[in-house]
Amino acid sequence: MQKEELSELLKEYEIGAIDINQLSEKLRTQLHLGKNGKALASLKDCPEFLPLANKILSNEDDSTDPLKYNTEGEEDEDQEGNGQEFDEDVDDKFDEEEQKWRSKHFLAHQEHTERDMTQDHRAPRTVDASFSQEMFPPENFSNVIGEIYRSSFPRRENLQFLKKQIKLKSVLVLLPEEYPQDLLQVMTDNDIQLFQCPMQGNKEPFIHIPDKTLTNALTIVLNPENHPILIHCNKGKHRTGSLVGCIRKLQNWSLTMIFDEYRKFAFPKARALDQQFIEMFNTKDIENVSMKNGWLPIEW
Amino acid sequence: MTTKQIHSPQTSILNDPFKEQQHHEQEQEAVNRKEEQLVHIIPSTEKIVPPLNFCPVERYLYRSGQPSPVNFPFLSSLNLRTIIWLNNEDPQDSLLEFCDYNDIFLQFAAINPDGGEDDNPWDGLNEKSISNALKTLVNKENYPLLVCCGMGRHRTGTVIGCLRRIMKWNLASCSEEYRRFTGSRGGRILVELLIEGFDTSKIEINEATAPEFMLNALR
Repeated sequence: MQKEELSELLKEYEIGAIDINQLSEKLRTQLHLGKNGKALASLKDCPEFLPLANKILSNEDDSTDPLKYNTEGEEDEDQEGNGQEFDEDVDDKFDEEEQKWRSKHFLAHQEHTERDMTQDHRAPRTVDASFSQEMFPPENFSNVIGEIYRSSFPRRENLQFLKKQIKLKSVLVLLPEEYPQDLLQVMTDNDIQLFQCPMQGNKEPFIHIPDKTLTNALTIVLNPENHPILIHCNKGKHRTGSLVGCIRKLQNWSLTMIFDEYRKFAFPKARALDQQFIEMFNTKDIENVSMKNGWLPIEW
Repeated sequence: MTTKQIHSPQTSILNDPFKEQQHHEQEQEAVNRKEEQLVHIIPSTEKIVPPLNFCPVERYLYRSGQPSPVNFPFLSSLNLRTIIWLNNEDPQDSLLEFCDYNDIFLQFAAINPDGGEDDNPWDGLNEKSISNALKTLVNKENYPLLVCCGMGRHRTGTVIGCLRRIMKWNLASCSEEYRRFTGSRGGRILVELLIEGFDTSKIEINEATAPEFMLNALR
């Protein structure tokens, strides 16, 4: 805990140099404290700052978008008895800023090329045209089985690919964070339905993902009415990998091959805990649901 | 026992222990037959082992390393029509037999068809062998299809990479996909140069025979 830096920031806030929004923003960017609960958890080391932390927390809660998905009940259940959240891998956290920056950068570049094309009619059209038609699948993109796909968090430039080549009908996101508005808008415009099943990253210590969360997610994934469906988390490594592992279990794959596939997609950050989770996942419930609906065996 | 007896009415069965036994066996046989049919529906307890480096590429298109007998139950479930074998040497006899038995066309995409004596098993693919494999890949009549080589890393990766280029994937994504399957030693620059340099216009796409994913990519 960077106590000195923290006290300095708090002083600035007390003398009115920065307001509470700026303060919480700085806490996040400079001290790498997470949003909401994470800031609070980190501040617990310094009890004298606790009232302020609570204030920041309530402030952030107020500012959250009213359009938030109705998944809170589920999430609460997940975190029951946990009391505090643990900092996650940078990879596991969805960084909206980075996402936006990358998309902006990319779209600006594309716009630039398109402008060049319209301005200079003598330019060799074929070359430029082939650039603008070039497809950008999301990172870590792959087919899983049939019309089930997996990837990292798609960016705006990936949507054309998903729409045109995959003809995507639905998306299942395994993150608790709110979906970025611009992406949501493009998806609504293209009739892509969004499902959200928040899962915590499998990190030590003592994070327990109930089988129920996975069963819910799998019920969405296996339903042919939702196909073609894309499963994604942030990097498409850990949460997505665990879910795909559970799909493979339903296919009765040997665990060795399931782990091999998991590691391939999680490289170089494979987690033993994820693999353990896949092994321990009880397929009984989802098997019952699938049998009832005739979803098994999943078709290639 | 004659056929007539098999279909005899049940009334006589009750008094005749021998016939009763026969009847019981027939019933058991019928149950067994039914169970055999159900095998495809009810997941068996036997674990499924896909081949090394197996992954679906597109619908009905798969990639892997050389399949061995332990993978055959899994391969049967894919209902393959074609396997492209990217190696100068023949695959294991068991694979040849498997293809023969299941009516799978095994295409030998020789690495260097004109190589003659200079032909080495460790050579990479060249443009000609890539084109040969891709011509099969762009015809839907050959699907479901499996592309494989010894380990399912570099040669398979080259062909799939070039296929992605035809599908207008950007090079970074092609390379990412290729490297995902190359194992701990990583990707080879030579393979990536082949993928980058591949002239996609060399492969003619016929709208009537191209697989659906290809048409979606080009439309």
